[in-house]
Amino acid sequence: MSVSDAYAPSRRRWLQHSASLGLAWATVQASSAYAQKMESGELKTLAQMISPITQGAKLLQQDVSISAPVLADNGSLVQLGVHVQSPMTVQDHVTHLYLLSQRNPVTRMAVFHMGPWNGRAEINTRVRLAGTQAVVALARLSSGEFRYAQADIIVTESACVDAS
Amino acid sequence: MNTPLTHAGAERRHFLKVSSTATAGLSLGFFVPERANAAETPQLNVWVEIEANDIIIIRYARAEMGQGSMTSAPMIIAEELDADWKKVRVEYATAHENLRTKRAYGDMASVGSRTIRNSQEYLRKAGATAREMLVAAAAQQWGVPASECKASLNKVTHAASKRSLSYGQLAAAAAKLEAPKEVKLKDPKDWTIIGKPIPRIDIPDIVTGRIKYGIDTQLPGMLHAAVAACPVFNGKVKSMDASKVENRRGIVKVLNMGEFVAVVADNWWRAKEALREVSVDWDVGEHGTLSSAAIMTHFKAGMEQADLAVARNDGNAPEALGKAVKVIEADYFTPYLAHATMEPMVCTAWLQGDQLEVWSSTQNPEGTLAVSAATAGIPQANVKVHPVQLGGGLGRKSPQDFTRQAVMIAKAMAGKPVKMLWTREEEIQHGLYRPASLMRFKAGMDASGKVDALHIRVSAPSILATLLKLPLPKGIDGQAVASFNDHPYDIPNTLVDYAQRNTNVPVGFWRSVGHSQNPFGRECFIDELALAAGKDPVAFRLDMLPNNEKSKRDRSILEAVTKAAGWGSKLPAGVFRGVAETEGYGSWTACVCEVSVNAKNEVKIHRVVIGIDPGYAVNPDNIVAQFQGSVVHGLTAIFWGENTIKEGRVEQSNFHDYRMMRLNEMPKVEVVIAPTGGFWGGVGEPAQAPLAPALVNAISAAMGKRIRSLPLKNHGLSLVKA
Repeated sequence: MSVSDAYAPSRRRWLQHSASLGLAWATVQASSAYAQKMESGELKTLAQMISPITQGAKLLQQDVSISAPVLADNGSLVQLGVHVQSPMTVQDHVTHLYLLSQRNPVTRMAVFHMGPWNGRAEINTRVRLAGTQAVVALARLSSGEFRYAQADIIVTESACVDAS
Repeated sequence: MNTPLTHAGAERRHFLKVSSTATAGLSLGFFVPERANAAETPQLNVWVEIEANDIIIIRYARAEMGQGSMTSAPMIIAEELDADWKKVRVEYATAHENLRTKRAYGDMASVGSRTIRNSQEYLRKAGATAREMLVAAAAQQWGVPASECKASLNKVTHAASKRSLSYGQLAAAAAKLEAPKEVKLKDPKDWTIIGKPIPRIDIPDIVTGRIKYGIDTQLPGMLHAAVAACPVFNGKVKSMDASKVENRRGIVKVLNMGEFVAVVADNWWRAKEALREVSVDWDVGEHGTLSSAAIMTHFKAGMEQADLAVARNDGNAPEALGKAVKVIEADYFTPYLAHATMEPMVCTAWLQGDQLEVWSSTQNPEGTLAVSAATAGIPQANVKVHPVQLGGGLGRKSPQDFTRQAVMIAKAMAGKPVKMLWTREEEIQHGLYRPASLMRFKAGMDASGKVDALHIRVSAPSILATLLKLPLPKGIDGQAVASFNDHPYDIPNTLVDYAQRNTNVPVGFWRSVGHSQNPFGRECFIDELALAAGKDPVAFRLDMLPNNEKSKRDRSILEAVTKAAGWGSKLPAGVFRGVAETEGYGSWTACVCEVSVNAKNEVKIHRVVIGIDPGYAVNPDNIVAQFQGSVVHGLTAIFWGENTIKEGRVEQSNFHDYRMMRLNEMPKVEVVIAPTGGFWGGVGEPAQAPLAPALVNAISAAMGKRIRSLPLKNHGLSLVKA
């Protein structure tokens, strides 16, 4: 499957998912960060986030799970856990785990280098988020294929900023 | 009369509901409200529920802190629903229900004057959807086309056959229908509720004392906590000696929480009194010598800083200034301000096993939920955030530092409900202050007095970078340069640059935020330019407003307010006028003040005429109230508001040295509501913006001396008492 193939259904899913969280596209874009004319206010598409890394390699939305709070009162410190289903053997393991932000000025928030020595493909960390957005965990496998999952995280509006 | 359904109200209604056997109702939406009984009441939608007795329950998903949105937002639903307002009851939606229903109620925070403007569309659709379903149910029952039926005042009528059914009679059948996907919203000219002055639904409960503020929370076996954080911001507890108070009557526990100390007792007064005698050795870190003078030096250095962030750069201001016939320059300064909400920070928390209940006076219920879960170390689904009325918010109660403290204490006292209440001193000395700001203005004019160049430089802390820790693209905090980066005037060469100068004083969102201070600088400096050009301040502004879509509203509100104030008419001897015009929070505002200043430097405010164009004026009565309140709040800050720093701490501590406006100082406020339609602007904050410059322009005219810093007490000025 090419990236564009993978992108089409996942984008639909993404929009559905976003809508179910009250994250209609227009609503997200009208939020404070965007209205502040902050560059980080621009929401990237899934392809814009993932393609520079996958470079056309096979990509599936499976085997990765993200545990994160639905709500964060402030984006400065959000706990995030990622688990990738992988035997982590010499033959079949995760080589890299990328945490990608849809809205931050720097999309690639973190890269974890992994190998069979890890035993488990699992990380726990804290990230800083520039507002409500989707976070993607992208795993590169030793076969060269990619797996990913995404989570919507709501950074609640705690700001009397002028969003006009 | 409408009974607002506060927390107690909701419980009472719940009781009535479960004890009633005849309930048949309609609730529209995708998710089932938590307490609804699905067997009795088919539920479709989260916002509207109609009982068989024709009572309409409308849910309100934001906070109510006196801003009146708990009335205005339901009015919007009721409008499209063609409801009889007298039969509308309002209930809070809760943050935990929002979480459970995957945010069916959307954003819940009451910040940025955004409640109406950000929710009006989905609220109108919710009302219209309910109306369409009721009409469809009636049409089905009568076997007539829905297009022949008309909804009005809680009834659907079929004129040809002279039949009608009440919403209560139709609700059960309507609930079984599929919600229409597309609904047609009313033309604003057909509105019968929006635009009418409707009394706030919570007023009867407020004046009879029935309303439950966060501070009123009472639970069986509840303990009380008083807290003290390090007087120097971000300091920590080095050591604590509580031996003097530990065995006192009523004292349950003295807690060293690292960042603060808490005394937990059987009543709050005992806790608070004991806290004074807990001996704490604070580690103040490196900030124990910070002073207001040092902060001013820090800001002044910002003015000379080489690498400034550029917020706006039209033409070439430095070059145009070099060629100008006349250059005018002035520095303006505004101080740090604590919020001093009437109700200090208060939060009750009750941790039982891994379940947590919270009653917090919060502007941001979802933020409260997130902080509570994280602090208690439990899943978000295990937290309930009960809505309470806020005794004022003013922007202080959206960040959740105090909720975190309360949950930390509840965790230490697990099993017992604990109400944590700050003292006034704690509130004033541990604020999230409106940033102090130093602003430098430089303008160049040609020989005819036309302004050709404007350079505004701001040296101030960044709220977005320090409180929200948001990245600042190109180094710009939009709040620090608000009303400068978007000034409407036709000045071909405009440069706005910004030196981010943070200090150890924590800053936050104080009602109107950047618009509480920057318009003071901008609109006073425009007056200085008008004076230098020898022109009338109103004519000077109108001449500088370009003929474009945005500026036409600046123009129309300025014209509406100056007309109402009789600008240009003769004034009694010794009385002077001042004017200002601003845009903020999606609305346009202007103000005219008339003042005289006597030999004792006492200011008499003869008139305040202040107006707004909010696009659509949802509840004019509430707009008048918001503007009157904003003038009280604004005058307090303009005359006396100032937090100064000495040895790393805020010097002021209570109302004796952080003074409020008094009744006998308050002028009459004339509010001009001039909605031009076509947009939805905010109302809670914009009034602060034009008040300070209009007033100070009038005072400067009266004194023949330009005032460029606040508060006015520092210029020896006070208010005449009635």
